[in-house]
Amino acid sequence: MTQPGTHDTMATRTLTIERVFNAPREKVFTAFTDCEHLMHWWGPHEWPLAHCDIDFRVGGTWHYAMRETATGNESWALMLFDEIISPEFIRYRDVFSDANRTINTDLPESASTLHFYAEGDSTRVVSTSMYADAESLKKMLEMGMEQGFKEMWDRLDAYITR
Amino acid sequence: MRDSLGTTFAALADPTRRAILARLAQGEATVKELAEPFAMSLPAVSKHLRVLERAGLITHGRKAQWRPCQINAAPLKEAADYISLYRQLWEGRFDRLDTYLNSLNNEENAP
Repeated sequence: MTQPGTHDTMATRTLTIERVFNAPREKVFTAFTDCEHLMHWWGPHEWPLAHCDIDFRVGGTWHYAMRETATGNESWALMLFDEIISPEFIRYRDVFSDANRTINTDLPESASTLHFYAEGDSTRVVSTSMYADAESLKKMLEMGMEQGFKEMWDRLDAYITR
Repeated sequence: MRDSLGTTFAALADPTRRAILARLAQGEATVKELAEPFAMSLPAVSKHLRVLERAGLITHGRKAQWRPCQINAAPLKEAADYISLYRQLWEGRFDRLDTYLNSLNNEENAP
């Protein structure tokens, strides 16, 4: 649906980030889907994973918490798996929750995809996330991508960052 | 912060309003000047301007139509920063994953 690097605009609230990793696809895919690996890298250094419970299947969830080393504060989240093609593709939603898996509807959810492309012995991972509440997301989708849209945003971007 | 961001993005969702903002990014303009390229009535343009004003994206004298509208960049910057926060988050994750995968490679390659 989304080509890398083309939809990173304020108006669509879509963020595309990609990176090539020096490891075969199966291995990189597993790093995203197995707590044993996730514990080592998902959370920021000062907010490592303190809880990890993953049920990796369509309709399953990843319930996790990151804990700030300095304060002991915890941030809970749920990842809801909507589509899985091992080891190529994951479509999921990210929501804020608590230790009891109750979803916090005050904070926005994001709809995301992860693509894993084998490139020889390396793997290109493309993460696309659309950050929007349901109402503005609907408006964004209705609006589509008009011609000349990007140029206009470039002008605005140049203006606001001057 | 999230509420005001929602207002900003809702205001930006309309192509006419984005075009108005793009015009105002080049300099201030009156309602009449803003209406010209759109083949819209002044009241229709005023309606869009009110949405932009409520979102804090422009400043505009409500009663005086001849008073120029001006763009206000702060909410746009906030919206841009919101995206950049997530960019930092993912760049950080990828950095750590890269380090982790390399450490696994090194373990495997160790004699």
